Amino acid sequence: MNHWRGARADARKAPGVVVPVESTGDTSMQLAVDSELHRRLVYGDESALAEAYTAYGSLVRRVAVRVTRSAVAAEDVAQEVFAQLWSRPYAFDARRGSLRSWLSMLAHRRAVDWVRSEARHRKDARADDSALHAIPDAAPGPDEALVDRERSLLLHSALAELPQPQREVVHLAYFAGRTYRQAAVELGIPEGTAKTRLRTALRTLAESLADPPDPALERGA
Amino acid sequence: MTDDHDGVRDLLAAWAFGTLSPAEEHLVAPHLAECASCAAQARRLRETVRLLDGPASNGLPGTPAAPRPPGGASDILAFARRLRPAAPPVAAHAAPYAAAVAGLKALLVEAEGRWGTPVVHDWDVHATVAHLLAADEPLAGRLGIAARVPPSSTGADADGSAWEDAWNRRSADVIVREHGRTPEETVADWAAQAAALLAAPEAHDPEPAGRATLLMGVRLPVADHFVVRAFETWIHTDDIGRALGLPVPPPPAVHLDRLVRLAVRVLGLALGPAAPPVLFAIAGGERWVLGSEDEPVRAELTLDPVDFCLLVGGRYAPDEVPHATSGDAGAVGDVLERAASLAWL
Repeated sequence: MNHWRGARADARKAPGVVVPVESTGDTSMQLAVDSELHRRLVYGDESALAEAYTAYGSLVRRVAVRVTRSAVAAEDVAQEVFAQLWSRPYAFDARRGSLRSWLSMLAHRRAVDWVRSEARHRKDARADDSALHAIPDAAPGPDEALVDRERSLLLHSALAELPQPQREVVHLAYFAGRTYRQAAVELGIPEGTAKTRLRTALRTLAESLADPPDPALERGA
Repeated sequence: MTDDHDGVRDLLAAWAFGTLSPAEEHLVAPHLAECASCAAQARRLRETVRLLDGPASNGLPGTPAAPRPPGGASDILAFARRLRPAAPPVAAHAAPYAAAVAGLKALLVEAEGRWGTPVVHDWDVHATVAHLLAADEPLAGRLGIAARVPPSSTGADADGSAWEDAWNRRSADVIVREHGRTPEETVADWAAQAAALLAAPEAHDPEPAGRATLLMGVRLPVADHFVVRAFETWIHTDDIGRALGLPVPPPPAVHLDRLVRLAVRVLGLALGPAAPPVLFAIAGGERWVLGSEDEPVRAELTLDPVDFCLLVGGRYAPDEVPHATSGDAGAVGDVLERAASLAWL
């Protein structure tokens, strides 16, 4: 006998809730919407995947393009992200964050990985191409855009390493275009906490530019 | 407005990310004009966000619109489906089982490397799947699907009053045998048998599915036996999910409704026509009078649909399951006890 049922999450008690996937309602509403979509994904309802794609496909591509600067790479990232959502549905837990922030973070992580592996391939192919080693304060010569590109990658690598609570606020506010107040509602945290997390995150990012490059990126580049 | 200093300083990161409301935006600009330290901080943070945006000059704009190649959506969905097929289309009575099988398959992907995790009874994850392989066998046999595991030496017919003993023996035999194989082999056999059940005419055509047959001690239409399979598959999926720390959502509402309705019917039969009548309600759903139709209702009992299923599945004790009640406590207690006694899982 196994009578070990304790409190069950409220989200599990909302059968039959029919609300649009893209809701800007309150936290419990977002949780109910995400939980319902997740439930259909778990039970193999492919229309749920199509809905997730309709709701979040643009966001996923936008994140991926911003990091990779490549429409082709963004396509690959989007493919991977939605394939993971579908084939590993238990990796997402609606009680631990919104589907929007989860997909955005997954896309970002995959995009950063793509850039790193791309850099590694280029290095293998042209080991002596000094332009690839351009660092921000290199001798005059490197094109300003290239320097910015390197810094951008550095920042995105640092962003991918931020603790998840900070990262998810940045994703909602920066990539998904929410105000920090909307992000707070979506994540079920106080506004002041959202503000603080954004500040801590952005300061960490700013400092990462001053620090030596991220070792992982270094390996790649 | 030096009073704004602390407030604005707090807002600078949100401002740099462009995530302030218009009203807050109006607070920031005047303060930056008169506070050098905030202005310097603001420039630094904005510059960081600008760099995060990336260069605007290499063919892609700084804030690129996400281009959607034609066919992108269908390519992406087709790629995903190749990794994991959708639950197969079947008749409504078999859809809960198709969904439950899809849900368990997805969960078992996460069991990789953790097959020995204790789940329920003395079963680990591997044994729980082996149990389901055995538990689906009687219906498969009835539909003419060859058993995937050789018959047990004890090989008794599972029908009749001793069905539960035979069922437990067969389950134990299959678990022992499957523990001698890899978890992947067991999962493959369970999944193949489930696929065969879902490919059977009885899963698609309500007519042959309407034929009543005695399985596991209860005579029901084949269609209902499919619902019983869904019930058990989901309950054990939930068991495995708890063991692995991965919460399993309850079945989709239409499927849950079917599970509940069947369980209420079986519960009504088990109570019999002479039991003290109880108005039984599912929160947010249907109501039934259980027991005698000739007496006034003695009590009301309301349960959440998931909790009710867990009670019937033996995952709640009658005195532990959350419920709302009024009236004769004894009559309510009888219903809860009887519901829990239906558990065979």
